[in-house]
Amino acid sequence: MNKYLTENKKIFSFDKSFSTNITFSQPDKYKLLEKISHTSDNLINIGSNLSYSPLGFSRKSLSINIKNFDRILHFDKREKTITVEAGLTLIEFLNFTLKHNLWIPQLPGYPTITIGGAVAANAHGKSCGKHGTIRKSIKSILLFHKTHGWLNLSEDKNKEIFDLTIGGIGLTGTIVSVTFELTEIKSSKFITKKKEVNSVEDSLKLILDESKDASYTYTWNRADNLSNFGKGIVYKNYLDQNLNNFEKLKEEKNQFKPFIFPMWNKFSINIINSLYLKLNKLTKSEKNENFLNVIFPFYGKENYFNFFGKKGFIESQLLVSEEKLNSFIEEFKNLFEKFEPTITLFSLKNMSGKQKFLRFEDNKICLTFDYVNNKKNLLFMSKIDNLYNKYNITPSIIKDSRISKEILRKSYNEELTRFKDELFKFDKKRIYQSEISNRLEI
Amino acid sequence: MKYLIIGASSGLGKELAKKFAEENNDLVIVSRDERDLNAIKSDLEIKHKIKIDVLPLNFSSINEIEDKLLSNNNLISNLTGALFPIGMMFDNDNLNLSVENISKLTNANFISIAYTIQKIKKILIQKENACIIGFGSVSGFLGRDINVTYAGAKRGLESYFESMAFDEEFEKINIQFYTLGYLATNLSFGKDLKLPKGSVKKLSNIVFNNRIAKFKKTYYPAYWMIIHLILKIIPFSILRILKIK
Repeated sequence: MNKYLTENKKIFSFDKSFSTNITFSQPDKYKLLEKISHTSDNLINIGSNLSYSPLGFSRKSLSINIKNFDRILHFDKREKTITVEAGLTLIEFLNFTLKHNLWIPQLPGYPTITIGGAVAANAHGKSCGKHGTIRKSIKSILLFHKTHGWLNLSEDKNKEIFDLTIGGIGLTGTIVSVTFELTEIKSSKFITKKKEVNSVEDSLKLILDESKDASYTYTWNRADNLSNFGKGIVYKNYLDQNLNNFEKLKEEKNQFKPFIFPMWNKFSINIINSLYLKLNKLTKSEKNENFLNVIFPFYGKENYFNFFGKKGFIESQLLVSEEKLNSFIEEFKNLFEKFEPTITLFSLKNMSGKQKFLRFEDNKICLTFDYVNNKKNLLFMSKIDNLYNKYNITPSIIKDSRISKEILRKSYNEELTRFKDELFKFDKKRIYQSEISNRLEI
Repeated sequence: MKYLIIGASSGLGKELAKKFAEENNDLVIVSRDERDLNAIKSDLEIKHKIKIDVLPLNFSSINEIEDKLLSNNNLISNLTGALFPIGMMFDNDNLNLSVENISKLTNANFISIAYTIQKIKKILIQKENACIIGFGSVSGFLGRDINVTYAGAKRGLESYFESMAFDEEFEKINIQFYTLGYLATNLSFGKDLKLPKGSVKKLSNIVFNNRIAKFKKTYYPAYWMIIHLILKIIPFSILRILKIK
């Protein structure tokens, strides 16, 4: 295998909940990608390794890092289309498209995520209530598969594989390039308005009301203790309609490097949340914000993740229908009272789309919780898992690295079976496998 | 201005193409891999509004160089510089390498470069600030039982570049030669190297900034200069006993 340039290293999932030794390779030529793909029985694709759960590696598979494929292959300003290679990062992509007042609005939360990773995860951003997931901007994909070779995928060509690949967590092959339909953006500046809320109910009401006109509406709610559960801020980001000159987005060398000891605990979270809320009350309810702050809120704030320490965290992202949200939250609070979990982040946003296969997408409300990774929280999360059926909840397998195959089966039902069947039909040897796909038997 | 880059599809060549394109220079990029060359062309033309000609070519074949590159006036006319970040290597490059492969290695790493320089010299002489930039290897410091022919070819190439600096005909052309150690490219990926790898991005900036220097012979990463000095001081008989790998 050495002939085709592989390296061994220890790798962690972004949430630090899983680590293993892997073999990986980073081809820089198409021919090398073809050759490398034939050196191992099992393969998987890795981009910036920023997915919370271990989707880009497995101890049994050779990880193919596509970061050297980072070029713009075609751009048509009039048609508003662009073809880029999958290793291009979002910040590099935006630094080109924004110059032409174009972009895709479905951007996941960190600028060094690769295009291939975003497509494989069917990523969404803060505006998913309005713009849905990245699927809506994809026109076509060029895929390389070890046995099928080079495949052009679109609504007209190999539609089944096209469908499987978007949100297919890299199991259909290596996404080499993607053609997007771009959307006009008049400004790369935002105006942020905020409103204080006292409960999840209030937050939901505002989200539903305000989503109609604002580009982005999302909340930050407290979940550090029961007495202030749901108190928080609803943020609305509007694009500044005044046409302005695009300023290049600055790439910084920020590091995800967990502290030796965790800094997040009930006490520190309570203090930080109280201060954050107070600060928000004291500052103006409307302010101008730059593109990076709004679209990539954790860029430059990596210490939020580093504070979880070596054991990391678990993020749970759930889709709950509008009608069932309040009763789910009531039950969540009952369990909260009993188990007293340590939750560092709680947020709500609206989402639109259609759930299919493994995609985290629906016309529902998206709830995000970040938990400190400890036994008590894992027990609490397992109790919440048991509510998925009752409230028809869809969890995200991209975010929650702890999900079991039973929970997956119960929450994705026939869509999971369809995905597995279609994938098996396409690839009988099931060549592309990750730690998550192995564990969940996908 | 227009520059010829031989071996532009990956590693240092790809990074040099990027740098020279960023500085708004037209390029002729040459390599065996047409798909990669086309991807580089699209990317750099879209980003920098320059013109790039792509030439898929086996640089170990003098005939191909003659037929596809040197006889195509559109490609070579108006060149301001030529860069040769090419390095052909074989895994089995030992003392038993077949004559056919010895020929391929010496051609790609030395003879083809010398031949191309001879042929484009007259075009470059007419240009102000024209340059010819060559790249050697630390393998050439000492003959060993690996990379036998490659090392010999690179040592020959260095000597050829030194000769150019002494030749009156080349006085109008800026000649630069870089002896390269480990670089962070796919050539060193997966190899257990004891010394740090140099950044190709940094090197391409250095190469670009030095392109108008009259004559420059340097090492990259710079610490290889010290290693070279040490190797020169130690008697060969002792090196043989030490069996430096």
